[in-house]
Amino acid sequence: MAASQKHGVLYQLERLEAHDQRSARQQGGHQGQQGEETKLEAKILKLRKLRDELRTKVKLHEARARIPIANLEPYESLKNSEENLEMKLEKAKAFFQAFHLTGLSGKVTTKGVCICFNTAFEGNILDSYYVDVIIKKPLTIHRHSVPVFIPLEQIAAKYLETNFQHFMYSLSEHLNAYSGRKYQADQLQCGFSAFLARPLQRNPLCTLLSFTYTMDPSEESFPFCARLVYEDLTTTLPTSVTITYQGTAATPASWEDQRAVHETLFYKNALHKVFESFLKVK
Amino acid sequence: MDEIVAEFIRRTILKIPLAEVVKILRIWNFLPESQLKTLNLRQSKESVSQEVVELCKKKHASMKEAAILDIIYHQTCQIKKIWIVYKMTKAPGEEVDLFDMEEFKDSFKKVLQRTLKNVHISFRESEDNAVWIRVAWGTPYMKPNQYKTTYVVYHSQTPFVFICHCRIKKYIPELCQALMTAGSYHEIRQMELRSLYLDSLKAIVFKQYNQDFQTYCTPLEERNLETEIVDPRIIHENMKEKERIQRVTREAFGDYVQPRIEFAQYKLETKFKTDSKNGILAEREEPFRCLVKFSSPHLLEALKSLAPAGIADAPLSPLLTCIPHKAMNYFTIREK
Repeated sequence: MAASQKHGVLYQLERLEAHDQRSARQQGGHQGQQGEETKLEAKILKLRKLRDELRTKVKLHEARARIPIANLEPYESLKNSEENLEMKLEKAKAFFQAFHLTGLSGKVTTKGVCICFNTAFEGNILDSYYVDVIIKKPLTIHRHSVPVFIPLEQIAAKYLETNFQHFMYSLSEHLNAYSGRKYQADQLQCGFSAFLARPLQRNPLCTLLSFTYTMDPSEESFPFCARLVYEDLTTTLPTSVTITYQGTAATPASWEDQRAVHETLFYKNALHKVFESFLKVK
Repeated sequence: MDEIVAEFIRRTILKIPLAEVVKILRIWNFLPESQLKTLNLRQSKESVSQEVVELCKKKHASMKEAAILDIIYHQTCQIKKIWIVYKMTKAPGEEVDLFDMEEFKDSFKKVLQRTLKNVHISFRESEDNAVWIRVAWGTPYMKPNQYKTTYVVYHSQTPFVFICHCRIKKYIPELCQALMTAGSYHEIRQMELRSLYLDSLKAIVFKQYNQDFQTYCTPLEERNLETEIVDPRIIHENMKEKERIQRVTREAFGDYVQPRIEFAQYKLETKFKTDSKNGILAEREEPFRCLVKFSSPHLLEALKSLAPAGIADAPLSPLLTCIPHKAMNYFTIREK
């Protein structure tokens, strides 16, 4: 056993220990070595950080360099650029005004476009109606807030597929005319009820209005029975006006004259404007 | 006052829930407000109705006024009777409709009374440009039976009529003819749409169930699934599938409250399909007749909640989702 110890495990371990001690003495202190190592590690980290910063700078620089040259006008003076901007702003404003005057605006939806029809009559902003159109073959109306008695289906059947602009125009005409007629009827009913001998009779589209009025509510004058028919759904003025007397007595000549004048007035003017003029006469 | 009228008023008041009696009498506007205020509502329903009858007797109410009371009752309270939708069409070239309410009423009355003797017709206009027509049917030898009445709701300048038939069905052609003549229409057909709820039928037919145009002004935000779970360590299994179901359901049913109908009926006339060649039903040439009926207190909302609840696969069959768009809840499915 003693003989094999020379080349056994213990012998190997002794040899390793002696080797280690020799090499430690050769290279000086452990502490010094460690200090070197930490210094080098710190330097590596610093260099890496610097490298990253430089990389980001290069990338930013490259990105800036890709901006199209058209946007850069380094040779224009400051004054000119202001004028240009003003011109552009004016142009945009005018464009929006024109658009607003048509009363049509639209908004893109996930499946198509939602069109808003703003209606107005004689400068008064009235109701808005929406039509949601899905863009696919064929074009279909998904939903809408158009009143039931407006002939939307007929207009869509005629124009939606073939001429979308005409469809918008035609529907806008119908809606504006309906809003205008409704506005006139409402104004008469609310604003001039003192003139009316019996309540205004109207149908949902306001295409037939019949009412009885007197020029002077206080006196016992001969009343006028008016019947206004609007056969054209795209107009706000009547196509036919008839004024009659419903009683049995004979009407005086002055009444006949007034009747003729009134008939012409109703043909040419908005309903509430006619009654406003009656007020002025008094 | 006629005993028949008295009895009719008494029975009508009995049908009205106690809370609505004064409201309906006020709308009726036949008894003065002072008398309505003195009405004792703390007694039994029978006594209340008896008191009202006494007040009406003093004012000599006639059947005409009693009929108006009946209409108001039907307009205010939810009636458990089915409304059927009819659609009228104009003759080509006659699309301009200059509707005059007085002319319509006169014409309707004349046409119906010309063909049938002893009918009692009453009208009442409502605010939404509609006219309610109540028809009590009689025979040439009997006075009109006020308890067997048909109700018609017509929205002027639209092609739609809503009819609530009574058990007497043989006068339907005459009724339709009167409507067509009075409204200047060329033909009338019954639509495959029926329900107890008149307002829902109107919403479906006039396409008024999807009227939220607020999204026009503000963009529609993506709605996240409700996550009541706050702990981030817990994740939803099948999150993607849940989102897909929500998206598909929203596309089919929209974001709005569905109109209320209580059933959908499918009459199948299709051949029986089976994989095996054996059996009695296999390879049968005649269609296999079958009726499938879905019913619910609120059918469309129930269908909408099927896929999110995991009971059915999304997307649902288009036969179910097309009900409001096609304005039908009675379908016949034949072999293609």
